[in-house]
Amino acid sequence: MREAAAGVVLAVFAGSAPAADVAVGASDPISVTPREMFLAAGIGVMAMCGLTSFFLAGRVTERTHVALAMLVVLIGGFCLFTLFGLVGREIPVTGALVLLGLIGLFKLMNQFEIGRNRTPRTKKGSDK
Amino acid sequence: MTAPSLYFVNWWADTLIIGGWSILTWIALLAFYNSADTQPIFWLSLVLSLVVNYPHFSATVYRLYQNPENIRQFPVTAWGLPLIMVGAVGASLWQPNVVAPYFLMLFLVWSPYHYSGQTVGLTMVYARRAGFSIGRRERMGLSAFVFSAFVCGVIRFQQTGSSGGFIDFYGMSVPVVPLPDWMNAAAHAVMWTGALVFAGFAVVWCLRQKRLIPPIVLLPALTHFVWFVPGAGLKSFWIVIPFFHSLQYLLVALAMQLKIRIDVAGGEHSWRRIGVEARRWGSRNILGGVLLFIGLPAAFSWLPLPLLTTAGILAAAVNIHHFFVDGVIWKLRDAATSSALMMNIAELAGPAVVDRARPKPVEV
Repeated sequence: MREAAAGVVLAVFAGSAPAADVAVGASDPISVTPREMFLAAGIGVMAMCGLTSFFLAGRVTERTHVALAMLVVLIGGFCLFTLFGLVGREIPVTGALVLLGLIGLFKLMNQFEIGRNRTPRTKKGSDK
Repeated sequence: MTAPSLYFVNWWADTLIIGGWSILTWIALLAFYNSADTQPIFWLSLVLSLVVNYPHFSATVYRLYQNPENIRQFPVTAWGLPLIMVGAVGASLWQPNVVAPYFLMLFLVWSPYHYSGQTVGLTMVYARRAGFSIGRRERMGLSAFVFSAFVCGVIRFQQTGSSGGFIDFYGMSVPVVPLPDWMNAAAHAVMWTGALVFAGFAVVWCLRQKRLIPPIVLLPALTHFVWFVPGAGLKSFWIVIPFFHSLQYLLVALAMQLKIRIDVAGGEHSWRRIGVEARRWGSRNILGGVLLFIGLPAAFSWLPLPLLTTAGILAAAVNIHHFFVDGVIWKLRDAATSSALMMNIAELAGPAVVDRARPKPVEV
């Protein structure tokens, strides 16, 4: 049932071929498609960025932690782009969303590793 | 303290480099070379790439890595990002049919966005020099105009440059981002609204100041408009747009480099020294550019892929790295950057220089 549901979702969003990939891949966990391998690598790198941030806690500046978090967003965004980048061929309006998503990603990356004048919010009554 | 000069060099040099040459080129191509055969322009731009486009990427790398303090200040950009780019290149070379098309698509959309950012930045620099204050509302109008022009350009490039939904890039078929038909009209509407809002602020400023706004303030946005709206319909012109973008960049980067190298304690302030520094910086960046765009692909020529494919993927990676580094090193909020971006190169030939961000005479 779960495989069928995943297949239907991918068929709607990314065409019938990747849906078939999922169906095959789910029955045989050893045979993964190139796209799945890439996505696995992407998830691995995202986890590595998170771990790096965790182990560097207290040793590097907040700016470095934010930059590592932005790398996670970049990799995640690119992985999503490889999955849904051409959805607009089937559903035109999603093409606009993909472009707006990319612009948002670029705008965010424009803030990469720069100091921002942001003061942390303090709770009412907390020490200054 | 004297008012900052309006130009990095002078009226002629700044006007031509920031947009004059590209607008004249567009007019000339429109009038005399509205041909489908873009090969002669392509070869000409390839030669020009060696001395302008490629060095412009190298200049960014040089600016970041020339000073160990920069590397300490931006460790993720200096070390983490190149690793991610190596990973992206590795994934693209490993899966040239699954990953590479999306990596190249990302680059092809990011590149004009990056040009838009430079247009906004240049407008801010010249506005500050002219005393035209760009606040939140003015910036919103300017950004709406510039970034919508970029969307119009992407739509037009995709319409006229693609065949069957694919663009040819370094011999590879890169899919275009499929967009709905209404998006072009929406982008035009936002662009003209932004233009009207920004023009309104400019008119108010002129009335209050009782003088005209210096044309150089509006030239980056006008140039951007020509590149992405009327220029996007002329195939021979697209090929040279990166050249003009790089030329703008090199003017500012050279001014910054001269400021860093000459305007230091004990630095010799003379035209001779400016010439020496400019030649040294230029030759290093030409060499760096050749290494990045010719040496690097040649080093990977052993891969079982067409050399052009490898070169295209590596070029995309160098570009994306450049987009990040540029965002880090050119922040106007940074006092040193802001100071360098307010100077005129001739100031470095004089005996004393005033640092505009920290207005104290610099030791000579």
